[in-house]
Amino acid sequence: MPSAVRIPRVNNNDDSVKVVRLLVTPGNQVAAGDVVAEIETEKSVALVEAEQSGYVLAIACSPNDQVAVGSVMMWLGAAADEAVPDAPADPDVPGVTSFNEPTAKARALLQQHGLSVRDVPVSGRRLSVSDVEAYVALRHANRVQPSASDGTPPTGLAAGTARPFTVEERGMLRTITWHKEQATPAYVEVEYDPKPWQEYSAAYTAEHRLMLDPMLSLLAYRLVKLATDAPKINATVTGDRLYLYEHVNLGFTVQANEILYLVVVRDADLMNEADFISALGKLQRHAVGGKLRVQESQGATVALSSMARWDVSRHIPILSPYTSIMVAHTGPRQNGWAALGATYDHRVLTGFEVSQMLKKLSTPHPDAQAPTLGPK
Amino acid sequence: MTITRDAVREGIRAKVIELATRRGGHDISNLADDEILPATGLLDSAAILELVVWYESEYNLSLREEDINIDNLGSINSMIDFLMSHRSDRDRSS
Repeated sequence: MPSAVRIPRVNNNDDSVKVVRLLVTPGNQVAAGDVVAEIETEKSVALVEAEQSGYVLAIACSPNDQVAVGSVMMWLGAAADEAVPDAPADPDVPGVTSFNEPTAKARALLQQHGLSVRDVPVSGRRLSVSDVEAYVALRHANRVQPSASDGTPPTGLAAGTARPFTVEERGMLRTITWHKEQATPAYVEVEYDPKPWQEYSAAYTAEHRLMLDPMLSLLAYRLVKLATDAPKINATVTGDRLYLYEHVNLGFTVQANEILYLVVVRDADLMNEADFISALGKLQRHAVGGKLRVQESQGATVALSSMARWDVSRHIPILSPYTSIMVAHTGPRQNGWAALGATYDHRVLTGFEVSQMLKKLSTPHPDAQAPTLGPK
Repeated sequence: MTITRDAVREGIRAKVIELATRRGGHDISNLADDEILPATGLLDSAAILELVVWYESEYNLSLREEDINIDNLGSINSMIDFLMSHRSDRDRSS
């Protein structure tokens, strides 16, 4: 039976959105999670993803159309020749939108616990089993009573206001969910003398007459080279197999105003140092200028994050989906030594392997015999 | 639209003040127009990046990666010179 991809609500104030781009056409095969369209409101741009795999049967809107939230954007079917329904499939439960429509397993679990769809906060596009389980656990811990069927908030919660997640918040939720449920995250850290990197960066800045300190970009490029030399770093797990990526796509966190982006330099292993720094600089400008394209923030295979700007002594990042390592950089500490850490997927890498990689990363010189480590 | 060096100077200076203030309340009243901004320490890398993005958008420029260097954009004066030169080239070719 065909299923509808509906226009999501991006924020509370907009009951309609503008269709910017359609990324599929009828007949295309899509997988769950594939981006099928780009939409925008006055305040932000959002991506619409297919909730399940299938074939695009028909598209009910065009670029530049202003369409109502909740209306059908396109139809997906199990076969390419499936018939398209005549009328839009309206949700069969009052108050249930495409945002909180439960999965079949979640619906069964709701019934098992005597809950209503409206009782349970949704972390993704659809209400999932983990949402129900989390709510049940919270209710047990806090003795929160389920809400009345008229939609009043659950009793036992402190006063507050519910709002939908923004696109960025929803993306972070997905990342966290992957990190928590599919990876086996662990963290190691090494201290090092930052002077060689500082000197290397200063020399590079002078030679290339750069505006911006390129140290983090240079560090990221060194990570690319290490991942090229040791393919296991550039890998993930699919089913019961180790999946080795063909190329290194370097993810790099960029804080633009209050939004955190992970921009991605694709095929970074094919670039030289200067081209990589130029490509990363361009992505950073796109992020800060609000012009980041969909493909510029997808597909990271390894990643690096720095919180040196915020003067923290340590941060332990979460893994981006389908990456096995996220390197964490912090600025020099009071004793003058700096730290490089990494969150890694323990299914793929061991702490020993990651610590060896971090020691190599702590120097800009690939031929250095014994990287200087921190004080004892 | 005609823009003057003085107007551009005021615009860039106001943006630098805004960014420096936001990043820690630095007093930049003594900042000279030919001072190399990254070397002053008044703006961190993120602020300089924001300044470049603002400059490109504010003056409707399409910067190439090779344009973004200390010679073209390193000081208020060089940013003014680069903009005026760019606009002259554009006027001649239109």
